[in-house]
Amino acid sequence: MSTFRVTQRTIVDRSLSGIQLGLGRLSQVQEQLSTGRQINRGSDSPTGTASAMRLRDSLSSVEQFSRNAQDAMGRLKVVDDTMTDVTDTVISARGLALQGANSGSMSPASREALAVEVDQLREALLDQANSTYLSRPVFGGTVSGDKAYDTTGAFLGDGGEMSRRVGESTRVRVDVDGRTVFGDGATSVFAELDALSTALRAGDDAGVQTAIAALDTRQKTVSDAHAKVGATYKRIEQAQTNLLDAELNLKSELAEVENVDLPKATMELSMAEFGYKTALAASARVMQPSLMEFLR
Amino acid sequence: MTGTFASFNTALSAIRHQRTVMDIASSNIANVDTPGYVRRRAEAASLGGATEVALWSRDTSAGHGVRTAGITRMSEPLLDARSRREHGRSAYLDTRLEVLKRVESGTGEPGKDGVAAAMSEFNKAWQDLENHPQVGGASREQILAVGQALADAIRAQATNVTSEQGDQRSRMLDLVTEVNATAKDLASVNQRIAQATSFGLDDNDLQDQRDVLALRLSELTGGVTSTRPDGGLDVTVGGEPLVSGLSASQVTITGGIAADGSADGNPLTFAVGGNAVTPGSFGGEVGAVGELLTTSLPGLLGQLDAVAKTLADAVNAQHAAGYDADGVAGTPFFSYDATLGAASSLQVAITDPELVAASSVPAVGGNQQGSNAGKIGELTGAKDAYGRLINGLATEISSSTRLAQTQNLLTAQVDGSREALTGVNYDEETVNLVAAQRAYEAAARVMSTMDQVLDTLINRMAI
Repeated sequence: MSTFRVTQRTIVDRSLSGIQLGLGRLSQVQEQLSTGRQINRGSDSPTGTASAMRLRDSLSSVEQFSRNAQDAMGRLKVVDDTMTDVTDTVISARGLALQGANSGSMSPASREALAVEVDQLREALLDQANSTYLSRPVFGGTVSGDKAYDTTGAFLGDGGEMSRRVGESTRVRVDVDGRTVFGDGATSVFAELDALSTALRAGDDAGVQTAIAALDTRQKTVSDAHAKVGATYKRIEQAQTNLLDAELNLKSELAEVENVDLPKATMELSMAEFGYKTALAASARVMQPSLMEFLR
Repeated sequence: MTGTFASFNTALSAIRHQRTVMDIASSNIANVDTPGYVRRRAEAASLGGATEVALWSRDTSAGHGVRTAGITRMSEPLLDARSRREHGRSAYLDTRLEVLKRVESGTGEPGKDGVAAAMSEFNKAWQDLENHPQVGGASREQILAVGQALADAIRAQATNVTSEQGDQRSRMLDLVTEVNATAKDLASVNQRIAQATSFGLDDNDLQDQRDVLALRLSELTGGVTSTRPDGGLDVTVGGEPLVSGLSASQVTITGGIAADGSADGNPLTFAVGGNAVTPGSFGGEVGAVGELLTTSLPGLLGQLDAVAKTLADAVNAQHAAGYDADGVAGTPFFSYDATLGAASSLQVAITDPELVAASSVPAVGGNQQGSNAGKIGELTGAKDAYGRLINGLATEISSSTRLAQTQNLLTAQVDGSREALTGVNYDEETVNLVAAQRAYEAAARVMSTMDQVLDTLINRMAI
């Protein structure tokens, strides 16, 4: 006899392994569907796992960059607002200087009034120079105290740079060195205002003219620095938009790698169910008959 | 000339033989589910006349009936040997895979609760600290908590692997006990087979037992079997005899595992019958557990240690380059004990949040700078090393799964061939039973016919 001998046990074993195989497939698809993920452990797809881990890490970095950018924008907003105020203050001071430029036609009392006003502007400017964000002076670099300038107009900052990481290799400077706006000590805007107020009180026209020229230069310095802050702010805003886009992209990429394709999985579930049922039905039919039933 | 009553004896021999055939059919049917049972077949041989040529001897009879020449056990030694080999390989791959899968599911990767996620959180927390480095601020407290969570996660993975090692050591002790008991049983069956053979007794049941024991021994050790002339089976492991005829050697663990299942610090070594055998010579379950204990699990732990060490060293180096809230240079952020393993002993060494060296300038008194924290937040070495570890493990398991599946298919196929030869088929036995029944009836009929013939001869003639 050349045909393969088949025994009842062969059929039982094969039926059992067929049923097991069907049930195994069913349970695999069921796991995917109930967890909603096609990678439930690394070995389900080693390459997929590597991508998923990389994407998860990038996603977490992007979230952090976004937070860093948020912080940077908050900080720069304070700088920006302060610079607007500083510009206004310098312009007002220059206006006062122009009023007092012709000292010959003014009474000492009105010159004194102008000088007092200039002194007040100096105070305001000092407050502006000591603006803080989260109780840290925004013009002081990385200084540990909470002031960037003392009352004499001397710079207390350390010239350190404060930067924020808003991309894998992008850091942006989020502070402005006070000296580039206000100057330091004898060359500071405070000294210039002091000189103006002194010249006004003394009726020193030449001194007032010098002060006007100095304030003109200062105004230009301030608006240059202001423009730079604006550009940085714009850059961070752009980076923030890009980060949000990147976050969305990464999320959808991660979903593609990790999450189950519902229609496909549902289809596979039906197939697995069909296979399992067929195995059961075939087993039920094939195990029943034997010669015994026909020998009565 | 044949004797008057010769045909009675012929019919009697047929009745006897058919009874044996029916006995065997019923025994086959009865043992259809007995593990290791191999179906039997009665071999018939005709009893002819005298075959020796002799001068005065003339035998003209038509035959003297039938005898049962023997009971054949329908097995094929080559197929049995093949089956043992494939079972040994299947056992090796399945055992190893089962353990590695358990270790893998313990890592919880890829997911939001694993070490990778904790590492991302750790980097994020440092950048948060750079944004808000205020002395006494929440970010300083947070970095300590997040660092501790990361250390805990790495330690948990190390524990996952070390406790698996402990389990496997206990399992190895149990396996060796089972190997020795099985070897002893096989030796005693070998002895009884040798006795039965020399006394000419039916040893088929003993052979069934022998094959069951030898199969188990192959699954346990992957040992090589060879048949003895007296019907017994010898088993060797790594060239050393484990079972040789009626004597069984002992497998002993000579190093690596203490009697209570703890590690004794030495590499795992075995001896069979007192002679040293390397763990790699074993196959089957012992071989798989040996491989896990000597290569896979220590390798994994070593990689984890390297990840923990990379993390701790890189963070500590950058931390030392910075200054804490009082302007003092940073002390180590993480601590570990290299002799215990970095992954098993990783801890955050700092408890005072003011000691976190967030600043990169040595300003004294309320140092509010955070650049150094940002630099620590940019370290990625440990993350990459950990990614490689997880990916390596996943690839290993994925390919082992495919190997095991292929091997199991092969084993199932060999088992199928073996079953085709040795298995009991009800229909076949029923046919044999009915055929034997008919033959028995016919033989009985011969007897009654002879009776009638003699009746005619004795009672009706010459009256």
